[in-house]
Amino acid sequence: MSRWDADPVSDHPINRPAPPPGTALLSGNRGALAGGVASALALTVAILLGSRNLDNFDVALLGYALGTIFLGFGIAYRSVLWVQSPAARRYLIRGWRALLRPGPNLPKSEIPRTVFSVLLLQRFIAERSKPRWLAHQGLFWGVISATLITFPLTFGFIHFRAVAGTESLYWIYVNGIRTVKIDALGIVGWLMFHGLNFSAVLVIAGAAWFLHRRWSERGNNLTQFGRDLMPLIALVAISVTGLALTVSSALMGGFGYQPLAFVHMCTVVLTLVWIPFGKFFHTVQRPAMIGVHLHKQATLASEGAINCRSCGAEMEGAVFVGDLQKTMSELGLDYSGWIETCPACKRIARGARYRDQVKAGF
Amino acid sequence: MKKPLQILAPGVAAFRKESSRPGNYVSEERGETMVATHCCYCGVQCGMYLRVSAEGKVFGVEPRNHDINKLKLCPKGVTAYQQVNHQDRLTKPLMRDRREDPLREVTWDQALDRVVSEIRRIQAAYGNDAFAVYSGSSLATEKCYLMGKFARVALATKHIDYNGRLCMVSAAAANKKAFGVDRAANPWSDMLEADVIMLLGANVGECFPVATQYFWGARDRGAKLITVDPRETPIARTADIHVPLRPGTDAAFCNGVLHVIEREGLIDEGFIRSRTTGWDALKAVLPFYTPEKVGEICGLDPALIEKVGLTWGRAGKAMAFHARGIEHHIQGVDNCLSVINLCLATGQFGAPGKGYGTITGQGNGQGGREHGQKSDQLPGQRMIEDPAAREHICRVWGITDEELPRAGTSAVEMVHQAEAGEIKGWLGICNNPMVSMPSAGRIAGGFDCLEFHCQIDFFLSETCNRADVVLPGTSWAEDEGISTNAEGRVIKYNKASEPPGDAKPDWWIVCEIARRLGHHADKFQFASSRELFEELRVASKGGQADYSGITYERIEETGGIFWPCPSEDHPGTPRLFEERFHHPDGLARFHAIEWRPPAESVSRKYPMWLTTGRTVAHYLSGNQTRRIDALVQQTPRPWVEVHPSLGYKNGDPVKVTSPRGSATYPALVVSTIREDTVFIPYHWAGKVAANLMTIDALDPTSKIPEFKVCACRVELGTEIDVPPAPPVPPGGQVYPEVGVFDKLQPSAPQGRGTGRG
Amino acid sequence: MRKKALFIDPGRCIGCQACVAACRECDSHKGRSMIHLDYVDPGNSAAAMPTVCMHCSDPVAPCAQVCPVDAIPVGNDGVVGTASPELCIGCGNCVHACPFGVPKLDVPEMLQYKCDLCYDRSSQGLLPMCASVCPTDALFYGTFDELQAKRPSAKAVDVFDFGNQSVVTGNALVAPAGAEDVIPGGYSVWNEFLETPA
Repeated sequence: MSRWDADPVSDHPINRPAPPPGTALLSGNRGALAGGVASALALTVAILLGSRNLDNFDVALLGYALGTIFLGFGIAYRSVLWVQSPAARRYLIRGWRALLRPGPNLPKSEIPRTVFSVLLLQRFIAERSKPRWLAHQGLFWGVISATLITFPLTFGFIHFRAVAGTESLYWIYVNGIRTVKIDALGIVGWLMFHGLNFSAVLVIAGAAWFLHRRWSERGNNLTQFGRDLMPLIALVAISVTGLALTVSSALMGGFGYQPLAFVHMCTVVLTLVWIPFGKFFHTVQRPAMIGVHLHKQATLASEGAINCRSCGAEMEGAVFVGDLQKTMSELGLDYSGWIETCPACKRIARGARYRDQVKAGF
Repeated sequence: MKKPLQILAPGVAAFRKESSRPGNYVSEERGETMVATHCCYCGVQCGMYLRVSAEGKVFGVEPRNHDINKLKLCPKGVTAYQQVNHQDRLTKPLMRDRREDPLREVTWDQALDRVVSEIRRIQAAYGNDAFAVYSGSSLATEKCYLMGKFARVALATKHIDYNGRLCMVSAAAANKKAFGVDRAANPWSDMLEADVIMLLGANVGECFPVATQYFWGARDRGAKLITVDPRETPIARTADIHVPLRPGTDAAFCNGVLHVIEREGLIDEGFIRSRTTGWDALKAVLPFYTPEKVGEICGLDPALIEKVGLTWGRAGKAMAFHARGIEHHIQGVDNCLSVINLCLATGQFGAPGKGYGTITGQGNGQGGREHGQKSDQLPGQRMIEDPAAREHICRVWGITDEELPRAGTSAVEMVHQAEAGEIKGWLGICNNPMVSMPSAGRIAGGFDCLEFHCQIDFFLSETCNRADVVLPGTSWAEDEGISTNAEGRVIKYNKASEPPGDAKPDWWIVCEIARRLGHHADKFQFASSRELFEELRVASKGGQADYSGITYERIEETGGIFWPCPSEDHPGTPRLFEERFHHPDGLARFHAIEWRPPAESVSRKYPMWLTTGRTVAHYLSGNQTRRIDALVQQTPRPWVEVHPSLGYKNGDPVKVTSPRGSATYPALVVSTIREDTVFIPYHWAGKVAANLMTIDALDPTSKIPEFKVCACRVELGTEIDVPPAPPVPPGGQVYPEVGVFDKLQPSAPQGRGTGRG
Repeated sequence: MRKKALFIDPGRCIGCQACVAACRECDSHKGRSMIHLDYVDPGNSAAAMPTVCMHCSDPVAPCAQVCPVDAIPVGNDGVVGTASPELCIGCGNCVHACPFGVPKLDVPEMLQYKCDLCYDRSSQGLLPMCASVCPTDALFYGTFDELQAKRPSAKAVDVFDFGNQSVVTGNALVAPAGAEDVIPGGYSVWNEFLETPA
């Protein structure tokens, strides 16, 4: 029988999770392209405005700025592609609506609680395993703090000027406006100037744990270098080269600082460019979880659940099922009535039909 | 995190994933060595690899493409490895001074000294025979051999028996009577050539799941399957002919089938003339067993008996297999003989696709009964009252004939002797009579009468929990040794791990007691299983079960050797009876079997038949399987299977009462059981033990108890009895899930489906 | 090219749940069983049926299509994977969109899990755990030729009828030689008119 020799699956749009960057651009999705360009332009304008027409722009950071602009392009491009899928679009709208207009049935505390629990504490990862959660928290806070420190610097939103006549006092300028004075040798200053080092340590610790798992865990032979290891290696590379910069300037009198800075920049820029097309895109998608779960809770409370058509047990929120049915219809999946039956009853019904109509016994 | 405000369809979140019960998947283990071994559970003895970490910890299982099982495993086999590092394992000797005291941890010296001094005291005060040894067939054969030698040489007591007495000893006795040897006639691969296969009282799908592949393989080639069982079990569900007879009427049924065969002239006269004796006597009893009469006895449509007779009689090649269903009766031996009569009368022996076999229940049920731990046998399937056998064994053991005790009594009888004060001391190993013996209330009383009770095990069984001294032995993965599967194939367990804590190999414990007792201490200077095996080879030489040509190395090379194997260049004997049977005259014996009713008949007060059996997720007394997470999740508790005509709903508390005891189970209403019969699985202890109700009537020949039929009454109860948690050693922890899973009842006899909850 | 597939024959199944126990022993499943074992007519029969992911090829993986975050990977060999843990948001779309009732949801982890054909094993030439241990070959993994060699009269059907929609799958059910080329999926437009039982 030839069917069993044939390749059953051709390329299909749902292979989207990791499309090679090149083919995505060439696919010519106009909406996505437009979104990407708009986002890149917006970032450029923000840099121009924030740095007062590049007055406060540090030319040494040009590579970073360009990388970030491309990142803006990529994220927007990928995001537009993302929300073009019926399920994502529906949940995006539903999620935002739940967030902005939660309705009377969702406790007010539920929104901040969910945000806190999902986005910051990431309790769901702790449920998978405690060490994984610790490692992820390290990565998460390391990357967040590094981003908060570096992006404003890169764009020229923040810059420092020495207070005239002092050895270690600096003015902090935000958006070109002088704000407060800090002592670089004081605790606050020390913490500020070494913030990135702390970030680097957190990131290295977290990434090292994940790399270790990837290396040693059983059943890991599906690990793909590009998909699974590259992102971790990139994070470690950024952190290590960043720390090396500190070592060079603080302990080795600036030895090798320039080449190191260049290498560091390369690691950062390459990572930035990679983000929209690899595993890191989950940082953009993950917040959708908040919207979806708030939406499911709110509508479950207001509209109630539906019962399995076969066994009568409560099975899911009525709005959820209705949404899914619309999504399936848009995708051309023409059995949406079937989903009003619970999974167990689906299986049993199929088994019973097989017994009655195909083969009763051996 | 607060529980999300979300509802889910039933079963969507049910993973059967690990709970706090052990058996957790451990992904952190470093390194991996695959140790080729076999499963510790049933008589199929599937090959498997144990996965061992660099630190020597057994952490998983990998299917093994062994001849027997061809990668396949059942749920017990898949999870068997979880016993090895189980938190409930006994790691220290335990002792109590008085029965009321709790068990406490002691040193080996304290424990062994107590055992030795009690043996001496009891034997001095009441005679050597006042101390009994009760062994088990889940031990490797070397240890079974040692137990027989220990009892007869070190203790010089005649009271030694083993738990196969509760298992399949009827089949053993019948085989011995009919063929002169006790072994399955064919390797299972012979099944693939059969035209008709008859299965009597064998729930193969649940008790020997992996053996199912042979039956299915035969059917793929067009064989017809006949099943005989009061319940429509998973293997009976699709059978070509299913015979739902009344419990305890197997001999009548077989005679009825033979009646039809004889009437239709389908017997093999040539075979009967040249290879058997006793046909005429059998033929004389057959006229009574007309299909109509048998239909009346068995509660069957006579047409069904005709149909089975014609199907079997006209088959070119036919095989019959049976298991506990027909063996656990006061006429268990006769039941087996009546099946053998069928096979002999139609000449179904000695060729591929032609044969007969019993499916042993315990892993080493076959090997364990061959080498002298049976009350009436010596190593090599020699009878203890046979002078030539005594002489051979006395020579091997280096003792005189006067020193070698005579035949003892059987397992259940020994407990009754304890009750009567004839037996005062008891050493048990590898068994759990509190759960496994019939009429459990009386058994517990018998044990209470003992002055001293020592038990060797690797989990704290319900029986250990009442003992005065508990000695921690090893699981099958912590020692090497041989085992003989249901086919008669000798295979080998390999050591995968060191025993936990202070646990010691069972042979060391027993030898150490012997050495400390000092009586023939020089006969127990074994330093390894291999040394024991070498002596076993010599002891079995020339006997029916001749292992003398088998070596550890040969087993490793071949994947298993069928005994008899009398020399190292002998290939073993997969198929018996090709040319002659093993009686001196080479002829098989017919036996004129008359059906007798069960020991207890239904009455107005007890109108229902009660039968007991196993379920797929558990093994024997459940001491091992009731502790394994996946198995408890599959089948957390016992139930009572009732026919819809009784009017109960699923989950109703149904109280089952027999003249000996009662318990309340949730009802599992199934139309696959006879209207006049209820079924309870027997793996659980305490208030929900099925054996509270069973009868301790014994077969006169094999002394097997009649587990499979007694009278009972069912009524709507009030509250379902809760199964007790398995006992744990002092300081051990009972899992919090006990009482959670235990409330869930199975959705089918095979357990809970994954679909709901 | 995927020449090997799982061939499922509920007629052979004895409901022993070896597959359920074995599923959690697969290294990549980490102690979690993904397979389903249902007793299809409890009370009247010991009949049982295992359900693994059928790896739908046309329409390709409905579960993956309805996933709002593209978390379910479909390999070029047609194997539909379990949800990628860094992407999955645990919304439950796949659970209900699957016509066979395969995916499961871990609520605290907000993560879907489903049968992935033990991809760590099957991609290395080992049998998926369930098919390896299945005592009856109700779950048979191999090529169609290997199946036919063992069961000459067997036919494999990989098209399921769900009313207006038929689904072609990567794995198949075994049917008798004379059976039709489409197997009922349990749902038809007539279900719409059935009354909910009390």
